[in-house]
Amino acid sequence: MKPVFECERLVAGYRRVPVIRDLSVAVKEGEFLALLGPDGAGKSTLLRVLTGLLSPISGSAKAFGRPVSRMKPSERARLMAVVPQELSTPMAYTVEDLAAMGRSSALRPWEGLGENDRHIVERAMIYADVIELRGSCIEALSGGEKQRAIIAMALAQEPRVLLMDEPTTHLDMNHALEIMQIVERLNREQGVTVLMTSHDLNLVSEFCGRLLLMDGGRMIADGPPADVLREDVLQSVYHCDIRVQRNIHTHATLVVPTRRFDCLSSGALVRVHVIAGGGSGGELLRRLCIDGYGATCGVLNRRDTDALAAEALGVKAALEEPFSPVGPAALSQAQAFAREADALVICEVPFGPGNLANLDIADEALRRGIRVFVNTSRLEQRDFCGHRAAIGRIQRLLDGGAVQWRQLDDLMRELSGLGSLPRGAPEGGSCVGRANLT
Amino acid sequence: MKSKLIIMAGLVSLPLVLAVCLALGSTTIGPGDLNTDLGRAILSLRLTRVLTGFLVGASLACSGAVLQGLLRNPLAEPYILGVSGGAALGAALAILGGWAGLMLPSCAFAGGLAALALVYGLAQQNGVPSVYGLLLSGAIINALCSSLLMLIISTINVEGLHSITWWMLGNLQGPSKPLLKAGWAINALGMIGLWLMAREFNALTLGRDMAHHLGVRTGRVVLLGMALSALLAAVGVAMAGLIGFVGLIVPHQVRNWVGPDLRRLIPLSALAGGMFLVICDTLARVVFAPVEIPVGVITALLGGPFFLLLLRRRRKSGWLE
Repeated sequence: MKPVFECERLVAGYRRVPVIRDLSVAVKEGEFLALLGPDGAGKSTLLRVLTGLLSPISGSAKAFGRPVSRMKPSERARLMAVVPQELSTPMAYTVEDLAAMGRSSALRPWEGLGENDRHIVERAMIYADVIELRGSCIEALSGGEKQRAIIAMALAQEPRVLLMDEPTTHLDMNHALEIMQIVERLNREQGVTVLMTSHDLNLVSEFCGRLLLMDGGRMIADGPPADVLREDVLQSVYHCDIRVQRNIHTHATLVVPTRRFDCLSSGALVRVHVIAGGGSGGELLRRLCIDGYGATCGVLNRRDTDALAAEALGVKAALEEPFSPVGPAALSQAQAFAREADALVICEVPFGPGNLANLDIADEALRRGIRVFVNTSRLEQRDFCGHRAAIGRIQRLLDGGAVQWRQLDDLMRELSGLGSLPRGAPEGGSCVGRANLT
Repeated sequence: MKSKLIIMAGLVSLPLVLAVCLALGSTTIGPGDLNTDLGRAILSLRLTRVLTGFLVGASLACSGAVLQGLLRNPLAEPYILGVSGGAALGAALAILGGWAGLMLPSCAFAGGLAALALVYGLAQQNGVPSVYGLLLSGAIINALCSSLLMLIISTINVEGLHSITWWMLGNLQGPSKPLLKAGWAINALGMIGLWLMAREFNALTLGRDMAHHLGVRTGRVVLLGMALSALLAAVGVAMAGLIGFVGLIVPHQVRNWVGPDLRRLIPLSALAGGMFLVICDTLARVVFAPVEIPVGVITALLGGPFFLLLLRRRRKSGWLE
C-alpha cells in the first residue's frame, strides 16, 4: 500500500529561504500522529507543503504516491481535509451552511446538493456533534463548538486524511479533550489517517500512536510517545528543564516543564528540616523552595511521594529502603540535617512502628533549642503504633515547647518570623500554639 | 422556506413591475395608444429604457454581490476596482474629442477596462492579486482618474461640461439598439459565468487557504471572478454612465432576505437590482415630468438613507460585526 504522505529530502520555505531543511518522513494509512516542536520549527510549513499550499524548493512531497503540488485541486480535496487553527469569515453562515461547503469539490458547478450529499453532511454533523447546532450562526458559537463545526465541514469532504493545525490551541481543556475524542473515534472507526500539529505534548501523548518532533526545520525524533518524549531530547529542543513521568491516571507519558527555584525572598538564611511521608510534606517542601528556605527532609522511604517531591525539588533527603523501618544509618543522616536546621516541622504524616523513630529527631532538636512545629490535625486517625504511642510522644513534644500547627499558611507565617528571631526564642502565634492533646 | 417565498415573490412581481414601468412616463401615453404611430414610438422608447435599466441594474447588483464576497468587504461595490474612474475618463475624452454615437460608450468601456488592468498590475504579487492590494490600488487609480477628469472639466466648453456631468450622473436614455443587444449578450453570459463559480466564491469567503483545502483553484477563481464582475460593471457604465449605490445596497438587502449563499444571492441580486433600477428610472421620468432627472440622483437619494438603515441592523443582513 502506498504511504499517505511521503517526504524525501524535502526543503521548503518562503521566498526561497528554507524553513524545512532536508526532511524525510513517511506516514502510513490509518495512523494517528502529531507533529510537535517549538514555534518556528517548521510544523505549519510542513502542513502547507503536504496540503499543496506551498511547493517544495527541492526534494519531494508526495501524497498517495503522487506529488502534492501536481494534484488536481478537486481530487486533493477528496483525499485530504484540513482543519485550520482559526477560521474567520465575514458572512453569517450557519453550521449547516459551513458543513455543506465540505461538498464543494464533489459537485459540478451547476449542481445543487443532492440527496446523497445531504446525507453525508448530516452524518458529518452527527459525527462532529454539532447536529443540534445546525441552525446556529457560527460566530455565535463557543470556541469548541466552532472547531467542531469546522471538523464537520472537513468530514463532509469524506477525506482519507485529516490534517489539523493546532486544533486545540485556543480551547479550554474540556473542549480540547472533546475534539481529540471525536478525532480518535474517526481514526478508529473510519480508518481516517490523522496528522495534527500541537503544542500540548501531554494531550497528544494521550491520544496519538506516533509523534514527530521537529526543530529548526528538521525531524529530531519520530516514534511512539515514550520514545519521543524523553527528557534529554525535549530539553535540547525546548531549552528548559523538563521532567517526564507517567500520568498516574492513564499511564500515558506526561511531560512537565519545571520551574527554577532561585532564591526569591527572605527565607534564604533559614534552614528547615521536614519530617513527612506519604504525600504529607510535598506542598510544604514546594512552598519552602519557592520562598527560598534551605530545606532538608527525612527520614523518608525511597519512592515515597514525598521522596519523589524532594528529588524533583532538589531537596536533600535522608532515605530508607521502600517499606522498611527507619534504620540507624538513615536516622543519623536525618539527625545531621536537623542539627544544621533552624526549625523542624512535623507534617500530617501517619506514624507506625516503622517511622516512629523520626520523632527521636524532633526530641533531640527540641533539646538543642531548635523550634519544632508539629501538625496535630487528625492525630487519632494516623497513629498506627498501638497504645497511642505516637500521640503520647507528640504530647511530650508539645509539653517540651513544640508548637502545634494545622494550616500551612499559618506555619509559613510563623517560619518567616524566624529569620529575625534569635535561635530558640519561645513564643507561638495566634493560630499556632501549645495545646493539650488529651 | 423564507428564501423560497422571496424567490417566488421576485418572480411574480417582475412582469408586474416591468409592465407598470412601461405604462408610466412623462406623457400620458399608455398601452391604450399602441394603435397610433406616436404611441408605438414612445412605448418602443420606453421598452428600450426598461430593458437597459434592467440589464444595468442586474449587472451592477450581481457584480457587487460577488465583489463583496471575494474581497470579504461589506463596502465593496462594482466600481471599487477602478472601473468608474477609468470609464468616466474615457467618456470625458470622447466628449472632448467631439465623438458621438457608439464612440462614447466604447471609450468609456475601454477606459474602464484599462483602469482595471492597471489595478491588477499594481496589486499582484507572484501572479496573484491580494485583497488589500486590489482595494488600495483601486482607490488610487480611481483618485488618479478623477483628478485627470477634473483637469478636462476645467478646460472644456460649457456644452461639453453639460454632457460630461449628465453622463457622470447616470441615465438610461442613451444606448442604441446594437449596443443594447451587445450589452445583453455580454452581461447575461457574465452573470451565468459568475453563478457557475458561486460555490467557489462561497468557499473563498472562508479565506483563500481554506478555499484551497476545499478544492478551489483559488488564483484562477479570484482572477476570473474579479474580471467578470468588473466587466459587468464596465458594460453597465458604458451603457448608462455612473449609477451609484445599486451595486452596494441591493446585494446587502438581498443577503438580508436569503442569507449569504452566493448560489442564491447572485440570481436574486440580479433580479432585485434590475427591478430596482427600472423603478428608479420610472421615478426619474415621472416625478418632475415633463422635466427628467438623472436616474443616478434617484438611486443616490434612495440608496443613501437606505444604506444607513441597513448598517443599523447589519447583523441580520448576513454580515457579521
